[in-house]
Amino acid sequence: MNESWDPFSYIVINLARFIRAGEVTFSGVNSTIPMLSCLLAKQAYDFEFTYINVAGGVDPMPSHIPWSSSDPVLAEGSSSIFANEDFYDLCTRGEMDLCFLGAAQIDKSGSTNNSVIGDWSNPKVRLPGGGGAAVMLPTARRAYTWRTEHTPRTLVEKLDFQTAWGGMSGIVTPIAVLELRNGSLEMTSHHPDVTAQQVVERTGFALSTDNVGPTAPPTERELAALAALDFDGRHARNANVHLS
Amino acid sequence: MNRRFSLTQLAALIPDGASLALGGSFLHRGPFAMVRELVRQGRRDLEIIKQSPGYDIDLLCRAGAVKKARVGIVAMEGYFGLAPWYRHAVQAGEITLEEHACASLTAGLRAAAFGAPFQPCGGIFGSELAVINGWKEVEDPYGSGQSTFLIPKIQPDFAIIHVNEVSEEGDIRVFGTSHWDRLMTRAAKSVLVVAERLVPAKAFQERPELTLAPHFMVDGFTVIERGAWPGSCWPDYGIDYAEVERYMNSKERDVSSFIDHVEGAGAEL
Repeated sequence: MNESWDPFSYIVINLARFIRAGEVTFSGVNSTIPMLSCLLAKQAYDFEFTYINVAGGVDPMPSHIPWSSSDPVLAEGSSSIFANEDFYDLCTRGEMDLCFLGAAQIDKSGSTNNSVIGDWSNPKVRLPGGGGAAVMLPTARRAYTWRTEHTPRTLVEKLDFQTAWGGMSGIVTPIAVLELRNGSLEMTSHHPDVTAQQVVERTGFALSTDNVGPTAPPTERELAALAALDFDGRHARNANVHLS
Repeated sequence: MNRRFSLTQLAALIPDGASLALGGSFLHRGPFAMVRELVRQGRRDLEIIKQSPGYDIDLLCRAGAVKKARVGIVAMEGYFGLAPWYRHAVQAGEITLEEHACASLTAGLRAAAFGAPFQPCGGIFGSELAVINGWKEVEDPYGSGQSTFLIPKIQPDFAIIHVNEVSEEGDIRVFGTSHWDRLMTRAAKSVLVVAERLVPAKAFQERPELTLAPHFMVDGFTVIERGAWPGSCWPDYGIDYAEVERYMNSKERDVSSFIDHVEGAGAEL
């Protein structure tokens, strides 16, 4: 067993690594994991970036870390309230650098389904809906998503419904990091406790294993920041992420 | 003009079949006291309009009070996951769903606020939501070469907003983010408010820029402390997670134990 990653820290930290200096980064509703990633990046990395969230916060200093990623505590210490219409408008006019957007299914082109399993008008499972995705995915400069499991049912050859198009720039699962290369999602690294071949077998669309190695281990600062955010391990327990 | 009502009187202004824009987002500052009262009064065939409903739409679906949902994303949030009775209502065909992106719903409300029949909305390209909703993509008539989707007007009969403070005249304000509440008050034909507390008009006059909507736009209000329970109302109280858990763990459809709450009685003394 690799000591450096657990499945939860693997997702949170690898999402945080997509955040870049000087950019505007957004986390929305139903997005507790990327909320943690954004807060972690503020602590673990030396560069500055702007973190805005669905609670209206702009570089907030929340007094505690909520379960709900839209909790008003995420505007605590913020010097403005940048409300829902503001961040949508920012995105659709092309000034949002990075969005974290949820996805129930994702295909090789990085399009997503958050609407239904089965037929839209006669659903087997009615999912929450895409929220901002249909508007944000095509208009944000980059968008990333995450899944707490990695199966051919979530990384699919064909979406049951295309809620949002525009190409996710990447996805992090408990076992791998995939990024968009020339319009197609490709594996860029994998969890050191699984092989690249295992990732391929658990993915519904074709992936190359050329030049793919294990993900770089977490730094001490990344682990320390996550430990401070989730000091009693409640987030890790509730997220309930497993390798298999 | 007296705009103050009891909760019972305020809810009685809403007829069966009305369309309601509900304020707040997920478990935050939702008009849950009003939602409970509508269920108590046996309201039927409601149309619910909200970008991110959760506990409110789920309780209304559980009670069989909903006919149509026009929504962007529906969930209980936190780690509670899907809204189970909303999901059941859609899957069983009990309600009609008009699925939106949050921003397309906002565009429809903006059209209503602006007095226009439709509103262009950014994004949406490649989304099958445009297909199922029949949204029209048009080329810029001014020749930029760009195209955009036109979202038809969405004009709710009522906006129902939970606020922190109201004046005797009916001016309202919220603390923390206003979500989409400001737009909802402009788009709806009528605005009904549940407020945490009544404050003197002077408090509004001192900080008029904090006012969400002026009194002439508010058709009625009531004062219910902790009316957004079991959700949060910043900065007064947070989510009552134990109560939301009780709601999620109870598998019977019967809603009586979730509406027998004595409104205002949970106030801290």
